[in-house]
Amino acid sequence: MAKTILIVDDSASMRQVVGIALKGAGYEVIEACDGKDALSKLTGVKIHLIVSDINMPVMDGITFVKEVKQLDNYKFTPIIMLTTEMEDDKKRAAKEAGAKAWVTKPFQPPILLAAIAKLVLP
Amino acid sequence: MQHVQSNNNTKFLYTFLPALPVILGAAAIVWQHGAGLYGVIAGVVLVFCGVGGGLFLWSRHVTELARINAYWAEDENRKMEAVVTYTNELERLLLTITPILSQHVMASREHTEQEVISLTNRFADMVTELQQIVSRADDALNGQQHYHLDNVIGTSRALLQPILESLKQIHQVEHQATVELHKLSPHIEGLSSSVIDVHKLVGQLNALAADGAEAEDLRQLADESAQTDQQLAVKVNDIVTAVNAALATADSSILVDDSTLYQAEDNVKQTLAHLTEALAHYRNDVEVLRNNAEQVRSEINNVLVAFQFQDRVSQILTQVENNLLNLQETIEKIQQQGSERNGTMLQVDEAVEHIEENYKSVSSRPNAEQDNSDDLTFF
Repeated sequence: MAKTILIVDDSASMRQVVGIALKGAGYEVIEACDGKDALSKLTGVKIHLIVSDINMPVMDGITFVKEVKQLDNYKFTPIIMLTTEMEDDKKRAAKEAGAKAWVTKPFQPPILLAAIAKLVLP
Repeated sequence: MQHVQSNNNTKFLYTFLPALPVILGAAAIVWQHGAGLYGVIAGVVLVFCGVGGGLFLWSRHVTELARINAYWAEDENRKMEAVVTYTNELERLLLTITPILSQHVMASREHTEQEVISLTNRFADMVTELQQIVSRADDALNGQQHYHLDNVIGTSRALLQPILESLKQIHQVEHQATVELHKLSPHIEGLSSSVIDVHKLVGQLNALAADGAEAEDLRQLADESAQTDQQLAVKVNDIVTAVNAALATADSSILVDDSTLYQAEDNVKQTLAHLTEALAHYRNDVEVLRNNAEQVRSEINNVLVAFQFQDRVSQILTQVENNLLNLQETIEKIQQQGSERNGTMLQVDEAVEHIEENYKSVSSRPNAEQDNSDDLTFF
């Protein structure tokens, strides 16, 4: 059975590119346009991994990660930050919030897929 | 600009400075000629004339000042009205064009976003189709499917080989039949010889029948034997003719079949050789097409990565939208202050610094051409 990955990004084109890469690798994809929208989709459905941007309207990625870690059903779901940010402060904040990996945009699909393969829940 | 104003000191100076020489002159006259009545009167008259002249000059001065002040006030009001009008118009312009610019930016961002999504989809479909082409080419070159090139040759050979074997077997059967026919030949000669013997016996029987008239049965038997002899001779002759004809045909057929079989085998071999050669060319072409498809697929994948620039474009345009919105809100707030507004409310330096910081943050991020060696970090 295909594993499900939640993509959180305010850019529709980025969600599209990430979705194509993941679907091509055999994953099922759920999309959300910001942190709040993503939280509204974490309603009991099995999510094997989350890929999230940082700079988003309504709710940013770091806040979203912190919120996910408060949810009993999803606190162990691995989260990969996919962002244009490169500052060490933000990386540190993401790590402290509970993210498992950091991928910089623009990304090479094999790099993202390698990170996912390593972290995705069984 | 502050208006020029007069005061009491100015008035005193204007009044008594012109009178002072006259007063001094009057004092000098009184001192020279004594304080006589005429001298005192002349002195007082001169003092009044001096004071009167001073007052006249003062009056002129006040009038001139009032005129100048009126001119300046009018000029100042005119300029102030121009500045206020300019400020109001500038505010109106900004408040009018800012939402329009914001709309344009938003529309551009959304339009670009949609087009990039559409292009991404189309390129992704191309990648999928190219992947299928590469996969099929791999199957044709290396797979186990029925259309695998080596299988085509092997299958053709496997189909043609039994036909050749069948032809050879048929040929062998024909050859054996001919041999058997040849074996019949001596027997047919014996059969002819037996016919001659029977003919002789019939002749003898006829002679006996002619000599012995008492034996009616014997004559009848002789007649029947003669008829049988003739029939036998005819049939044997027919058989011999047919067997000889069959032998001649079989011999000829064997010669033709040998040639035909050899030709067929040679044709089959040549056909398979041509097929092998054609498939070798086809294999090369398939390999070239497969490699080209792989290369195009790789290029399109790179294009898909490059399409991520849209994310940066969206971020920059979002910053522009936000900055325009902030500008609009700031001007609206200042406008609400009415006559209380002043230049410091704009906080231009802080606003410019904030905008520059935002753009610097967005524009300093990596692009597709930069080194991606630290793209992935595990925590």
